[in-house]
Amino acid sequence: MDFALTAEHEMLREAARDFLESEVDLAPLLVPGATVEQAARSALWAKMSDLGWPSLIVPETFGGLGMSHVDLAMIVGEAGRTLAPAPLFGTLAGTFAILAAGSDAQKDEFLAPVAAGACRLALALADVAGRGIGTPLEDVRAEQTAQGMCLTGIRRFAVDAASADRIVICAPWEGESRWFVVDAAAAGVTIERVEWRDITREVCTVVLDSAPAVMLDRGGEAVWPAIRDRLYLVLAAESAGGLHAVLDDTVAYAKERVAFGRPIGAFQAIKHQLAEMKGQAECASAAILYAAWALDENPARAPVAAAMAQSYASEAYCEAAHRSIQIFGAIGFTWEMRNHLFFKRARANAALLGAPAQLRSDMLAALVAHRAMLAPA
Amino acid sequence: MDFNLPAEDDTRRLELRAWLDANPNPSYRLLFERGLTAPHWPRPWGLAADPELQLIIDDELARAGIRSPNHINPAAINNCAQSLLKFGTEAQQRRFLPPALACEEIWCMLFSEPSAGSDVGALKTSARRDGDAYVVNGHKIWTSLADRAQIGVLVARTDPSLPKHKGLSVFLVDLDAPGIRIEPIVDMTGEKGEYCEVLFEDVRIAADRRLGEEGEGWKIAMLQLQTERVALSKPGAIWGSGPSARDLVDGLIESGRIADPVIADEAMRLFVEGEILRLLAFRSLSDRMHARPSGPEGAIRKMVAAPHGQRVLELAKRSQGPAGLVKDRDVLPMRKGQRGPYSNWDTAFWFSPGVTLGVGTQEILKNVVAERLLGLPREKDPSAKLPWREAMNGPASRGTPD
Repeated sequence: MDFALTAEHEMLREAARDFLESEVDLAPLLVPGATVEQAARSALWAKMSDLGWPSLIVPETFGGLGMSHVDLAMIVGEAGRTLAPAPLFGTLAGTFAILAAGSDAQKDEFLAPVAAGACRLALALADVAGRGIGTPLEDVRAEQTAQGMCLTGIRRFAVDAASADRIVICAPWEGESRWFVVDAAAAGVTIERVEWRDITREVCTVVLDSAPAVMLDRGGEAVWPAIRDRLYLVLAAESAGGLHAVLDDTVAYAKERVAFGRPIGAFQAIKHQLAEMKGQAECASAAILYAAWALDENPARAPVAAAMAQSYASEAYCEAAHRSIQIFGAIGFTWEMRNHLFFKRARANAALLGAPAQLRSDMLAALVAHRAMLAPA
Repeated sequence: MDFNLPAEDDTRRLELRAWLDANPNPSYRLLFERGLTAPHWPRPWGLAADPELQLIIDDELARAGIRSPNHINPAAINNCAQSLLKFGTEAQQRRFLPPALACEEIWCMLFSEPSAGSDVGALKTSARRDGDAYVVNGHKIWTSLADRAQIGVLVARTDPSLPKHKGLSVFLVDLDAPGIRIEPIVDMTGEKGEYCEVLFEDVRIAADRRLGEEGEGWKIAMLQLQTERVALSKPGAIWGSGPSARDLVDGLIESGRIADPVIADEAMRLFVEGEILRLLAFRSLSDRMHARPSGPEGAIRKMVAAPHGQRVLELAKRSQGPAGLVKDRDVLPMRKGQRGPYSNWDTAFWFSPGVTLGVGTQEILKNVVAERLLGLPREKDPSAKLPWREAMNGPASRGTPD
């Protein structure tokens, strides 16, 4: 029994923080009119690749670093804290899918290039309504042709798809959900960037017209939860990191901004909001560590742990980003300040994988099915 | 990192279980002699138990159906008695500690006053030296267990010429001393007995009942308020006791009221927050295991836990509709389990407004979090540096702006 981070975890986090604080530059995004294209995403990604981040949790047998989900949470948390504009989420998401659905040969084929820094991934899950969570959506159709498997249809809100070399897509095949890998450069694949409000992130529509695809070996019910829980962890860790950044920025501002002869942080109207934000930040961090630990050590607890982390952290992040703008006052409402970048990332993170209320409803279903989880302790 | 609790086959657990099997229904005296009432204390009083062993002991006592000594004599075991190890004379330790730890003498804490709650340093009760005794006059309030206790830990002003926090001293008082009157307070639940007022009129206290030096009272009292025994299985809505968010969701499922989607979503929010509060408790424990300070983090946990508990109880009550206003109605079905005091949903709900008042108001806790953890400017107290006598009568006491 020990719920504290080890020294190794803390060192990893410090190293990631030092790296990102010196490498991430949000200034180009804080110029009015900026879009995601102004961020030096590829340059940052190249440096992340040198550190091995693309394949953090890929087992060593497939060329990865074989690190734990707790390690992953350390690094992703820092990426969230700095809003690091780089296709990390997409590559992690594609990796989760290939790890969950691929055969060993397929993992080797698709993940070794990722580990070598030569391939970026994306996962295209959602339909036009933003649904796409676990059910085999009919909006993408798989066909067997003389040349092999092909996919036809549209996927929306695919993070990092325009930066990806390969895209993983779920589609129904012979009555079950199957996972396919599509080459982004192949004929029949069109990828368009969406005018996404969160310009720290690239979000795309993926149009497939008889696009050649490789079907991963494993399908069925068990694959999606393994992917989903890891996606929740990554988004939640980002959100918790962002929440801490918002808190730090706002506390620093409240100490320095003077009104009525005192720093505004001396007024309880401000102070108490920041205390509450601190409470939520600590709660979010604890939930993330627990989810990461469950994914590593106790898979039976992972679905509820990951949904708890994602639903809590994304809502707390939205609330903190909103309060932060209020505490900064009007300056926090301008494009040149980074408050709005956090605000928008928070909104996006609370929407991308389903609303927090939907996650709570899923958790409730799990608790109804496993009442033992409600035993008084 | 490991979120698993000490295993079922942990040897320390098995040993204790065997002892409890061999000694069914042990007296608290016997538990004390075995080191089990305050296991976290150093020997010979306790077992110098690490947090893990403390959890095992909690678990096994609960499993054997033994009410926690901590709940029988909280002011002594949870808060005050340990300070005797640091500030008490040997004679005081010998006189007071064995009966306190054996739960044969119940203690209470005489800190708050009608005009000194959050600002307890502004207390007025005076202790005037007179030969080999002190003469005490004053009015204490919000004292838990005073009507059942034998010993009171009293904070009183021994030197009104010093600033408010400097002139205080702590005494161990026999509550049957002449001149002490104890009046139970009827709180808004309608129950008598949780809190009392304690009035002192020319009460003589022998000088050897003073704990520590004259003027050390503030330091000792703060230590006593901050000493808390490790406790894990306390997710209940009232300061860790009573029903929890798990009980709420379980009861709503059992009663079918979870079918209301508004109730379901609120309940699941509370479930998530409740589980996270458990994790924060785990983390404080780990901090202690690593000998890291966990002081102000406790303020975060309470700041989140107190309103959380209120919302848990509020939703349970609201789910009843108008039937919830009928006295002593069953609110929600509840499984058997050890939940300490306030284990009834109805009582707990009507008590719940007090949760953000007692043990530090919510506003004071937020100040603590903002000032100590975030480094925001401290609140100003225009009376803090003045001699108490002057502060009492001077402009600051009349609320003149600084």
